[in-house]
Amino acid sequence: MSATREVVSTGNDLAAMAAVDAGCRFFGGYPLTPSSEVMHTISDLLPKVGGTAIQMEDEIAGVAAAIGAGMAGVRTLTATSGPGMSLKAENLGLAQMAEVPLVVVNVMRGGPSTGLPTRVAQGDVSQAKNPSHGDYKSITLCAGNLAECYTETVRAFNLADRFMQPVIVLLDETIGHMHGKAMIPTIEEVKEGIVPRKVFEGNPEDYKPYDAPQDQPAVLNPMFTGYRYHYTGLHHDADGFPTEEIETCRKLIDRLFRKVDDHKDEIESNEEYMLDDAEVLLIGYGSASLAIKEAVNLLREDGIKAGLFRPITLWPSPEERIFELGQKFDKVLVVELNQGQYLEEVQRCMGRRDINKLTKTNGRPFSPADIIEKVKEL
Amino acid sequence: MSRIVMRFTGVGGQGVLLAGEIFAAAKIKEGGYGIKTATYTSQVRGGPTVVDIQLDDKEIWYPYAIDGQIDFMLSVADKSYQLFKNGVAEGGTIVVEPNLVHPTEEDRKKWNIIEIPIITIAKEEVGLVLTQSVVALAIANTIMNALDEQLLIDTMLSKVPKKVHEANLKAYELGKKYALEAMASA
Repeated sequence: MSATREVVSTGNDLAAMAAVDAGCRFFGGYPLTPSSEVMHTISDLLPKVGGTAIQMEDEIAGVAAAIGAGMAGVRTLTATSGPGMSLKAENLGLAQMAEVPLVVVNVMRGGPSTGLPTRVAQGDVSQAKNPSHGDYKSITLCAGNLAECYTETVRAFNLADRFMQPVIVLLDETIGHMHGKAMIPTIEEVKEGIVPRKVFEGNPEDYKPYDAPQDQPAVLNPMFTGYRYHYTGLHHDADGFPTEEIETCRKLIDRLFRKVDDHKDEIESNEEYMLDDAEVLLIGYGSASLAIKEAVNLLREDGIKAGLFRPITLWPSPEERIFELGQKFDKVLVVELNQGQYLEEVQRCMGRRDINKLTKTNGRPFSPADIIEKVKEL
Repeated sequence: MSRIVMRFTGVGGQGVLLAGEIFAAAKIKEGGYGIKTATYTSQVRGGPTVVDIQLDDKEIWYPYAIDGQIDFMLSVADKSYQLFKNGVAEGGTIVVEPNLVHPTEEDRKKWNIIEIPIITIAKEEVGLVLTQSVVALAIANTIMNALDEQLLIDTMLSKVPKKVHEANLKAYELGKKYALEAMASA
């Protein structure tokens, strides 16, 4: 997408705007710091375009309502922070199993539990990979600047319809609340880029919504359009009715994996900043990458060639690229506002255990000086 | 222009956030980069609040002001003043509300401390305590000479409801007047 429209806004407001521009017409949720402005703003925007926003009695009901709208064929959003993600987890598992598309914006704050409500953290990265029990492949995008709060939310809606599952967009308190300039695509461009979910247009008697090729999602027509099938969280057959038939059960979970794994190239997105001639590799994402970029520039003024690799799609991780970078760089430093949740993924992808880490979990952001000091110690 | 770094501090509920948004938006309108961040506690009212404002012609990555590099601070609550004063560069300017903030003699040697009764001005001279944010905006811009005044005022007016335009214009003029007086007597 091109960046031709100048907007002065916050990350949370940009996420809400993006949803509406991407065709979202339903929001179900419950306000939770530091995500509440997503709900405030979309509650203002949706009625103006014929959409609906509803504050439910809690986070669980909020995501349940959003899933219901998704079943009815509407592009749908919920937004929350870590404690709300914990509450929504069970229903997110249902959406994975029943293959209901929706977008979940999680503006991360300090945790576990209610933690530090107004402070920044990146502690929900592991959770985003597997919010619910059971086997499935999460798709999680992470905005690293204001513009991406918009563009990644747009992308999330298209991915949700393409892969028929929840897509999580991770923001954090810093990105969600910071107020500044964002260059984003025009509404027309966003609208042109909308790829709606597939629908079956044949004879309703021949419709087998879950009888998809092993690397493809279910084709779920909107409810109430004459195509009858069943939604369940149980293992199910081609019509969506519960089954324990051995091969059907095996194929279902295998398909939930393969529909994502076989098409990672459609999902992966990274930024490489000053990496070409770098001698030290820094890996970070979200708001931490803002401090890293500033640090990279200052380190280079001191003659230390540092560069940043920033995964924008966190899950599935860009494992091939991380492996290649692990072959190229001796000195690797992962910087994240948790105790090393993505560090473990970097270790796995690189097949190395000598990865350095800089972590922080006191609710405060990294400063560029924190990073510079650590790099100089390596 | 080189980067201008300002910090506004108070306690939750005082409404110090708006001035930061106006500064950032005006700088962007001028064609540059402006970023505002706010840090506050989970107390609804009464917790220390800090708003960081950075203005630059070049892109700004890291959105927070860095301690030691802050040129200007304005404080309307003592607990926030004490907590954040050490982020101001030596020789930098700190504007305080003298009825609420009590700098020490040492502070006065270290920084250029200016006393302006911001809240009293808003409450009694403008007649609308909410306009303290615009009084603060005017003081900061007059002292720092950060942005074109008309651009800043226009941006401010675009962000407040029409029915309080007049009060906010008055607040701006008063803030500017007090700042000029304080600068003249310094």
